[in-house]
Amino acid sequence: MRAQRMQRTLLSLVLRLLLLCTVATGKCSGKYHELLLQLQRQADLMQDPSTLLDPYIRLQGLHSPVLQEHCRERPGDFPSEDALWRLSRQDFLQTLNTTLGLILRMLSALQQDLPEPTNAEMNVRGFGNNIHCMAQLLSGSSDPKAAEPTQPGPGPTPLPPTPPSSTFQRKLRNCGFLRGYHRFMRTAGQVLRGWGERQGRSRRHSPCRALKRGARRTRPFPEVRRLAPRGQPPR
Amino acid sequence: MALFAVLQTTFLLALLPLRTYQSEVLSEPLPLTPESLNVSINSTKQCLHLQWTVHNPDYHQEFKMVFQIQISRFKASNVIWLENYSTTVKRNQVLHWSWESELPLECAIHFVRMRTMVDDARIPAPRLWSNWSSWEKADAQNSLGDHPLYVFPKDKLVEEGSNVTVCYISRNHQDNISCYLEDVLIYGRQLDQNVWAFEFKNVSFIRKTGTNFYCKGQGDPEGVVLLVSKVLEEPRDFSCETQDLKTLTCTWDPGNDTGLIQLPSYTLFESFSGKKTLCKHRNRCDWQVTQDSQEMYNFTLVAENYFRKRSVSILFNLIHGVHPMAPYSLFPKSVSATNATVTWKVYSIGSSSALLCQLQLLGEGKVIQQHNISVRVNGEYLLSELKPDTEYMARVRCAYADHFWKWSELISQNFTTAEAAPSEAPDVWRDVTFVSGHPTVTLFWKPLSKVHANGKILFYNVVVENLDEPSSLKVLSVPAPANSTKVTLNQSSYQIYVTAHNSVGPSPASAVAISGHPGNENVEEGRMNGTEDGFPMSWKPQSRNATGYVVEWCDSPQHLPCVLRWKNLGPTNTDTVISSEPSRCAFRPGVRYNFRIYEISTKRMAHLLEKKAGYLKELAPSYNPKVNMSNLTSHSFTLSWKDYPTESQTGFIQGYYVYLKSKTGEKCHRGFEKTFLTDNSVCCKYTIDNPDQKTFVVKDLQPESAYEFLVTPYTSAGEGPLDDFRKVTTPDEYSHILIHIILPMVFFVFVIMIICYLKSQWLKDKCYPDIPDPYKSSVLSLIKFKENPHITIMNVNDCVPDAIEVVNKPEGSKMQFVGTRKSPTETKGTKPAYLDLLPTEKNYSGPGPCICFENFTYNQAASDLGYCGHFPVTPQAPHCQLGPLTSPENLLKTLEQNYMNSLGEIPAGEANLNYVSQLASPMSGDRESPPTNPPEPALCSEYKMQMAIPLGLASPARSENSSLSSTALLDPREHCH
Repeated sequence: MRAQRMQRTLLSLVLRLLLLCTVATGKCSGKYHELLLQLQRQADLMQDPSTLLDPYIRLQGLHSPVLQEHCRERPGDFPSEDALWRLSRQDFLQTLNTTLGLILRMLSALQQDLPEPTNAEMNVRGFGNNIHCMAQLLSGSSDPKAAEPTQPGPGPTPLPPTPPSSTFQRKLRNCGFLRGYHRFMRTAGQVLRGWGERQGRSRRHSPCRALKRGARRTRPFPEVRRLAPRGQPPR
Repeated sequence: MALFAVLQTTFLLALLPLRTYQSEVLSEPLPLTPESLNVSINSTKQCLHLQWTVHNPDYHQEFKMVFQIQISRFKASNVIWLENYSTTVKRNQVLHWSWESELPLECAIHFVRMRTMVDDARIPAPRLWSNWSSWEKADAQNSLGDHPLYVFPKDKLVEEGSNVTVCYISRNHQDNISCYLEDVLIYGRQLDQNVWAFEFKNVSFIRKTGTNFYCKGQGDPEGVVLLVSKVLEEPRDFSCETQDLKTLTCTWDPGNDTGLIQLPSYTLFESFSGKKTLCKHRNRCDWQVTQDSQEMYNFTLVAENYFRKRSVSILFNLIHGVHPMAPYSLFPKSVSATNATVTWKVYSIGSSSALLCQLQLLGEGKVIQQHNISVRVNGEYLLSELKPDTEYMARVRCAYADHFWKWSELISQNFTTAEAAPSEAPDVWRDVTFVSGHPTVTLFWKPLSKVHANGKILFYNVVVENLDEPSSLKVLSVPAPANSTKVTLNQSSYQIYVTAHNSVGPSPASAVAISGHPGNENVEEGRMNGTEDGFPMSWKPQSRNATGYVVEWCDSPQHLPCVLRWKNLGPTNTDTVISSEPSRCAFRPGVRYNFRIYEISTKRMAHLLEKKAGYLKELAPSYNPKVNMSNLTSHSFTLSWKDYPTESQTGFIQGYYVYLKSKTGEKCHRGFEKTFLTDNSVCCKYTIDNPDQKTFVVKDLQPESAYEFLVTPYTSAGEGPLDDFRKVTTPDEYSHILIHIILPMVFFVFVIMIICYLKSQWLKDKCYPDIPDPYKSSVLSLIKFKENPHITIMNVNDCVPDAIEVVNKPEGSKMQFVGTRKSPTETKGTKPAYLDLLPTEKNYSGPGPCICFENFTYNQAASDLGYCGHFPVTPQAPHCQLGPLTSPENLLKTLEQNYMNSLGEIPAGEANLNYVSQLASPMSGDRESPPTNPPEPALCSEYKMQMAIPLGLASPARSENSSLSSTALLDPREHCH
């Protein structure tokens, strides 16, 4: 258990250093795969319930089966999995960016209810920074403004949940929110992995699989139609 | 109208005295009814708040009143609280009163009413209650929404150990509600149709985030969090001090944390100035000293949380509470071997105040010097009497000089003094051995102690001075950390000086004198016993001019080489105790230590005084001697253990015990005593009290009896191990006699047998040789002696063979013969064919006179097979025929050729040649007469046959059909005689 925590801490530290490096230089990595891999790893780190949800449940005494049953994500807190899969890459990144803002506000409010030093907030900021870089890379412009989302993402627009009147309800509400947060990050990671898989399949020139995938999904990244050169994002 | 006027006058008259009295006391009670009673609910504090007024237009003064308040729950008739509230009332004053409900107010409708009574001494009794006000309703449920389930009180803050009542309101009567306190299902008390209450007594703190209580019906769970606070403790050790007379710092111990996220507040209040400040920390508060020269302060620290308020006060004099800041910049300067100057700085306090600083010098962790210095800004002090090459620590602390209260924090600095030349000569001793008459001296010295080395010793100088040749000096430099060197000298007298050198210079020299000749080593060794302190020993001085004594010994003497140790003693010492040095090997029990005591003459020459051996503590022997048993008789045997080393034992061997056990359990013999062994077996023990006796004869034993014996040494600490008994059985009483007779006899017979065996060949040659040597033949000697003294041995070249027997033998017959070894009698049927070399005469059957000729082809194998004379001879064919050979040369040639072939050129199975000659019997006497009888095999004993017989031809199994033989008979006339 301690070793796992240590691993997570180290990984988090590495990611934060990567983030700080990017922020410090003020430049985004121009390597699509490197950036994508980093996003996947960050999403994997943030989807882990042992980083936020489990400590919160332990700290608030919500570990009884009755309360666990009601510690669930509320509809509308985060975009659904289907909605995320349907989004284009630009829209997906925009939705991710917007949701991360909500998450940051919630984490800030939760700060005193969480165990002492959590790196959640820094992780979210780092993730958001890489999303920004990815959006910039996908838009093909070095101008950060070009990466700004132009269209609002589909699905419910996340709003900060209204604080419940009583402490007990707030505990349950926060619990459900954190569960949704981890679920959302897990889904985001899967979507990001889907980008990589699709890229790999495209490299192997497997049109059959692409067609099947296209048949399964309503809008399987229609803008990615051709193989991008090595080290360059697909346009 | 008149009547009205009369009545009015009467009324006024009546009122006049009342008015007059009213100015002094109220003449009668005034039942004043409370007005405008308003009841409100404070959900946070779970309080009913009452507000009302008393309207009395006639009274303008204050007077005391009692308000009786009645509270009902659920219905007006269910009164749960009755309280009298007394207060002083002014005219038109709005009055307030609160009541805290144990049951959350949201769970029940409450009704409140009150009445009043004037309770003032100015109004005479009887005092009457006013009428009750109308019931005022307090209903918190009106503000609730339409949720099916509510749990109250929300976010209740309670103190640990108090009682709490929690309730729920269920709007759905059919719903089955379960309630839990921290996962534990609990059951409550029904207060109303849809209200249940749960009372928790003596609640305890579980976690900072509160204790969860929740209920669950069909929908989502509803619950409350009870925020339990630990009891706020009174601050302890509250004190204030100042470092600079500008800022006061008050500190305290807040005690245990209350456990809530909301921390208690701490406020510092100063009564003289009337100022207060809210402290930013829970254990410390800063207070700015004003410029109005306030010297005394009366501080009160108030700790407060939702439930309690705790306070503690001190009276503080500013001057008496100065705790200066730690000095800084402490440095040593001008550090020499014995002196050092240290400097430091202090933070000034005020404009004219001085600080008292304490400078401490520490060596090896102990304070060795301490000095007090008054300092305003810069401090400096010269430390003296320091030791060279020594690390010291200087540390400084300061206090307010005007009024000492507390030392500041210490600051420290390490420094090391410079080196100086070693102050003491090294302690030197020597070991002298003589090789081929020349002394070889090994010099040993002890490293100088840190106190005397005064620095790092770099090398040792050894100067060897030949006293007989003063001009010859030999100097050796031995680098440190070596502690010995070897010098080979001649037979002169020497003085050796040893000095230790560090970076500054040499130490005083240590001198040792060596004589070129060995001293007296024949000193008897004494014994001594060790004690816990070591080995006490004493000696007798030999001369009055001794300059000292040296005791030397070896560490771990059982291990070689000897690690020499010595102890120098002054000339007045004639005894000492040699104890283990902490840095050396400790003396161990069971180890023999040998000490030698030397007397040092004025010329630094050492003479051996005494030798002593001892054990720190003797132990029982660890092993037994290896015993040889000899001279075993039926009544005794001898035990000996010649090579048993006593010096390596774990104690002085005082003697030996001989244990003897007999299986018959007979009584112990004379000299033995009965004893019991550890296994409870009985045994006889004999004590040999002379350690040099290493032989013992066990006597008076029974013949043919089994005994067990053991020899074990003993020391003062005990005897050796009793675990290796050896067995012996005494022989029969007469067996030795038999041995004395039979053994020589057997030996004698054996010798004869050996002689016979060794001489058997000689006897055989003498008595019955296999093949006679013609030269040695007795026959020859007889012939020589009796008939012809000129007779000689016939040369084969001179002889003409008379017959050649050619034997054809199949290959297999040879092997058959060799394998079956058939006797010659079995070969009777064999009829060899003979080739006539000379003309034969028919009907001639008698054996001609045979002549012996030299055997030049002798087959030993054939002779060994026993074919001596048993060769078959056909009766028809004479063995010998007389007459000239037709061609003697050819015959001889043929013979020789056949002979050679028989040696190896003729393959087996081919025709072989059997070369036979016969010697005429000397007994026949008539060579011309034919033999009357065919030759018998027995006659061969009289003949000497010589033949060349390949092994194949000797086969008696040869069949007649397969054999082809030819025999050439010699003509008797042509034979040489």
